[in-house]
Amino acid sequence: MNRRGGDPSPSPAQTAVYNIDSWNRLVRLAARAFYDDITLKGDNAPKAGRGDNRGMAVVVLDALTRRQWVREEDLAKSLKLHSKQLRRTLRFFEEEKLVTRDHRKESAKGAKMFSAAVAATGEGQRTGKEGEEKVKLHTHSYCCLDYAQIYDVVRYRMHRMKKKLKDELDSRNTIQEYICPNCARRYSAFDALQLVSFTDEYFHCENCNGELVAESDKLAAEEMGEGDDNARRRRREKLKDMLQKMEEQLKPLVVQLGRVKDFSIPEFGSLQAWEARASASARANGDANANDPSKSSQGQGYGGTPMPFLGETKVEVALSGIEAKEENAESENKSAGLKVLPPWMVKQGMNLTKEQRGVVKHELNADQVSQSDEKKPKVEVEDEKSVQAR
Amino acid sequence: MFFHITLERNMQLHPRYFGPHLRDKLVSKLMKDVEGTCSGRHGFVVAITGVEDIGKGLIREGTGFVTFPVKYQCVVFRPFKGEILEAVVTMVNKMGFFAEAGPVQIFVSNHLIPDDMEFQSGDVPNYTTSDGSVKIQKDSEVRLKIIGTRVDATEIFCIGTIKDDFLGVTNDPGVAP
Repeated sequence: MNRRGGDPSPSPAQTAVYNIDSWNRLVRLAARAFYDDITLKGDNAPKAGRGDNRGMAVVVLDALTRRQWVREEDLAKSLKLHSKQLRRTLRFFEEEKLVTRDHRKESAKGAKMFSAAVAATGEGQRTGKEGEEKVKLHTHSYCCLDYAQIYDVVRYRMHRMKKKLKDELDSRNTIQEYICPNCARRYSAFDALQLVSFTDEYFHCENCNGELVAESDKLAAEEMGEGDDNARRRRREKLKDMLQKMEEQLKPLVVQLGRVKDFSIPEFGSLQAWEARASASARANGDANANDPSKSSQGQGYGGTPMPFLGETKVEVALSGIEAKEENAESENKSAGLKVLPPWMVKQGMNLTKEQRGVVKHELNADQVSQSDEKKPKVEVEDEKSVQAR
Repeated sequence: MFFHITLERNMQLHPRYFGPHLRDKLVSKLMKDVEGTCSGRHGFVVAITGVEDIGKGLIREGTGFVTFPVKYQCVVFRPFKGEILEAVVTMVNKMGFFAEAGPVQIFVSNHLIPDDMEFQSGDVPNYTTSDGSVKIQKDSEVRLKIIGTRVDATEIFCIGTIKDDFLGVTNDPGVAP
């Protein structure tokens, strides 16, 4: 079920195929569909006067779509949540298999390494206090969305919902009941063994030896147990209604699932691998640039989630690839003679063409750049506000 | 589902066995008494795998019989709701079919058989798909899901379904040797 490959650190060329915005939209839709009214009650719930924390789960998931690996303290700070509360939410999501977490003991130096990696992503959420943190081997927790698993979990969840309703509708798991038309005696399928007769192939009443009829048969249902039948019909209608409503309301999610199916899955790898990649790319870009949030996010250009391990040029490649896909996915499929191999199939030593690796070479022209600048979401603006607020 | 559990039982032994082979006699009597029985709580006792402990015997006044508390390990089989089992069809009729999974009797009523299978009466009553590719008759092996169990003190009876994914006939008696 799990589509994650064995390769923990796909090269930038492979990760460039995925359309991170589509995946994030999937996460946001799933969050609103399934986790909107989740309340996470802690032990001290009554103490907190503002007890109602519904919707917090959605906020946390949304925040995670704008980040990759993030230290939980930092996330708590930027969401202005209590870290305990956040941890409870994250643990819930870990159990729901939406989020992967990592815990490690680290000194100030280790924390700095992560900070550098965060800076490289150009988040600008941090206020640059790295130096002040004097950590003496504290346990820090990190978390990250697990897109591969989210995809599977959401699909499985919807499958189960649908199956449950359909099973009820078909009364698949109900025990058949039998009625004797003569003496109105009722039997259930559990009595079947006693009811079989060896002379013919019907069940016979123990009392009057009449032939039994299955209750669902129209005739029997009309004669007896009318109220029961009415109740059943009402229930059936309710179920049908529910199924219809569900399909209606989950339609956006289904559509998004279908859209996302063709993209390869964003894979950030384990925390260590991610950090190593991120800091490497930061060095390549020049640290001064990376630490300036506004500049570096201009460099990222697209979407709310920057990709730290992609060099500047690589990001442009991803951008053009995405745009081509969005404009008309079909024509691109036709033009690409070779199928793009998903990253989990690509192994070292395979002789692949660029197309197979999913690298789309387009020249980036001027208006695409301006487009992307306009598209730059409000995230950045919010970021600046939050910095000012502090 | 099968379980390996430890049970206890008070065994009564006739005084004529009091001798060098008392223990052997006790164990063989235990096997004879217990294996194949069914208790509602634990299910069917399939086999005794070992005797853990035989307590001190107590002579009953008047009869001379001695009661030994015996602790023994055994394999039990207890069907559960939702469990998937493979069973052999024993009887087919218009109302459905009966099957056996070891000691357990299972009834699959006709509305829990897929809609595309129809009952065919005749010499060998069976349920057949319209194209005739799948046939359920006596001695067919089917994979079914238990949707209900009735557990009495000494009997377990199950209701099954084959109206679900991956359920149905697993072999064809006409083809298999």
